[in-house]
Amino acid sequence: MRLSQVGRALRSSALGLAGLSLLSGQIILSLFVVATFPPDFGLRFWSNPVQWVDNPKASPPAWTRRLRSAPQVRHWSETRRDPVGHEIRGRTILTDYLMTYDLEADAWPSFLALTVTDVQFAERAPLLGLTLIRPDETRISLLRHAVQGPREEEEGPFARHVEDPLRIQISADASVVSFLQEFLAEEYQLAWNEADIKSQALAIMFGVPDETGAAFKPLRGRYAFLFQTATRNETDAVGSVQLVVGGDAYGFMGTDSIGRDLSQGLLYGLPVALLIGLTVSVLSTAIGTALGIASGYLGGTTDIVIQRLSDIVANIPVLPLLIFLLFIIGPNLGVIMGILIAFSWPGLAIQVRVMVLHMRSSQLIEAIQSLGSSRARVMFRHILPQIMPYFLAQIIFTAPSAILAEAGLSFLGLGDPAIPTWGQILEAGFRTGGVYVGYWWWIIPPGLLIVLVALTFMLISLAIEPAVNPRLQPAQRR
Amino acid sequence: MRQWVPLGLRALTMIGVFFVVLLMLVLTLGLTGFSDRILSSVVGEQIRVERTALAETIRDPDELERVLNERRAALEAFYGLDTPWYYRLPGAVFRVLRLDLGEARSLRSFDGSSRIIDIVLERLPNTMLLMTTSLVIVAVLGLALGLFVATRPGTWLDRAVSGFAAVTYAIPTWWIGILLILVLSVQWRLLPSGGMYSTPPPTEPWPRFWDLARHALLPVLSMVLVSVGPYVYAVRTITLNIAQEDFVAMARAKGLPERRVRNVHILRVAAPPIVTGLIFGLAGSLSGSILIETVFNWQGMGRLYYDALAGTPDEGVIVALTFMFTLMYVGIRLLLEVVYIFLDPRVSYAG
Repeated sequence: MRLSQVGRALRSSALGLAGLSLLSGQIILSLFVVATFPPDFGLRFWSNPVQWVDNPKASPPAWTRRLRSAPQVRHWSETRRDPVGHEIRGRTILTDYLMTYDLEADAWPSFLALTVTDVQFAERAPLLGLTLIRPDETRISLLRHAVQGPREEEEGPFARHVEDPLRIQISADASVVSFLQEFLAEEYQLAWNEADIKSQALAIMFGVPDETGAAFKPLRGRYAFLFQTATRNETDAVGSVQLVVGGDAYGFMGTDSIGRDLSQGLLYGLPVALLIGLTVSVLSTAIGTALGIASGYLGGTTDIVIQRLSDIVANIPVLPLLIFLLFIIGPNLGVIMGILIAFSWPGLAIQVRVMVLHMRSSQLIEAIQSLGSSRARVMFRHILPQIMPYFLAQIIFTAPSAILAEAGLSFLGLGDPAIPTWGQILEAGFRTGGVYVGYWWWIIPPGLLIVLVALTFMLISLAIEPAVNPRLQPAQRR
Repeated sequence: MRQWVPLGLRALTMIGVFFVVLLMLVLTLGLTGFSDRILSSVVGEQIRVERTALAETIRDPDELERVLNERRAALEAFYGLDTPWYYRLPGAVFRVLRLDLGEARSLRSFDGSSRIIDIVLERLPNTMLLMTTSLVIVAVLGLALGLFVATRPGTWLDRAVSGFAAVTYAIPTWWIGILLILVLSVQWRLLPSGGMYSTPPPTEPWPRFWDLARHALLPVLSMVLVSVGPYVYAVRTITLNIAQEDFVAMARAKGLPERRVRNVHILRVAAPPIVTGLIFGLAGSLSGSILIETVFNWQGMGRLYYDALAGTPDEGVIVALTFMFTLMYVGIRLLLEVVYIFLDPRVSYAG
């Protein structure tokens, strides 16, 4: 049995071809992810809620809008760096930024948020204002905000919100209530109390009163947001202005309950899963093969020690011990993989030993020995190459169980927080109750991806099994 | 009596497993300084209690500190904190063996006890119930289906079984459980999504039993769905391999009826490896049950892991659980080994 036979078996079977093409696709995608994602994606982005504040929370994927008949609001976000115009009024310079948004559905946005970065001024702190110009030409003033002025003993020019952007959730801001109260009284002669306005702020901004006058209905059309800065000096400026209208559907895979874009987490999980599967399987298979060859070829005390040891390690219930060790040592992907490697080799050591025992009594090996080859040379040059195809098959066969084991541990909350995995996404979905309220986009895709990667290895394994294990050939040929 | 020798050897291995796990538990606790931290917090707690009591009688603050420091030294000597951790090792082993792990931090047993042994032991039957039920169903179903498929090799049914086995091998049991909850209990509201009894639980024996069965259905179903495929496949392959042996052809050539050939010649030989398959599936079903209990909020030892890990972790409970799961695994393994001996009196472990 040679390696080329394994390759031929793989190419000649439909399962093998399917498995190979899936695997190469996954490897290409993994390389893409490794090349484009920042190395500290886990801690700096994924586990950092600040990164995701502008996303709608627990939203289904955007493409579900087409499948559902209910109206859905598109998620919208726009950033402006350059103003549309200036106006000088007395000693004040007014600078305008304009953005437009189309409300296309009979539904409300989920929030409205403004983010301003990098405010520079020479003497007096700028004033920021936001006005909403609605499709029916009515205007609502939404914000008056003064940037923090010079502190004591601080020298100009001044810079504000460089590292920490100024973020105002306008739809939940306390000051917006009085603006809306004013607007309702002037425009519709309505006198609502503050609590009602606060709970229906978005409906008032994006709607008109219905026939009864007691409730609002959505007003479709083009909305313009006019952002204005009032500054004193000509060098005063604002770095960027961003407006977000929260939709109720987001991206290709939706978001979780803190607004994380699930498609990013799912993508990042792919190279991690392959890394876990392949590292654990290659190393544990190498250890198992080495010990198996030593045990079978050297015999004697070495054999007894290795066989007793594998017998004991093979019978240790791994998951409880893994939970215990990770709990004590702390959740770390390296530790997880190390423990998985330490407990996955014994079965192979026992099998390889039996194969080596057969080989040792073969005429070829006896002839080589009688020619005076050293024991190390016999093991590495003559026994190992014959084991190679089996070694490869075992690598492929062990990979899925390592991936599933890591997923299970992550699901128990023992995943490495620095490296998000599919198991961790599922854990978050389960722990926060996403399952019980039917957030399927949070639960189904990560599990399906785990199954897909594990199945890829299974397919390849099924295809090469007849070539590696001749005992199975007659049974499968029937 | 020769057949008892290999069983004795197996028993020795299992005892070896048991002590290796025990040693790893105690060594890890010692080497990482974890046991020191636990004991120091026990001492600290005790000193805090005594301080409030002593402050009533001793007014002089310096005198109070002196007395408390003496007490602290005495307590540290009592718990062995004044010696390196490895001197405490034998004591620690015996404490774990007796499950004498003190009190849990925040977890309580159903009747309010905070002793770890009470909390863990009352969960043991629930875990056993879930595990043995699904193990028995997998064994019976796997045997019946596997033998049936083995008589029809190469048919669409055979291929379907192989495909099903390969796919389920790649599926995490707990994810199947979550999917079942999502579809059957959240979407269609057919079955409860978790727990063991409805609230309030029925008191009459029969309604109570049905309530339990309704709650157990989804967890058992997910465990069976995932483990039955590979087992059916194993039974089928073992049986097919034996059916090709010469002695089976010989039996057929003698003109024995097919049923007799199958039951006597094939099955008698196939039985031991089939049981071995079940033995190897045991470890998987143990891990499966830990995660499945978590998913379905089944009040067993597996769910206890999740509860002990969440929030403020309960170290003692986690040590006790790891120990109990090993004990349970070793016990069931030995039981299956005895079954194995009875199935095949000529059993030999020689490689």
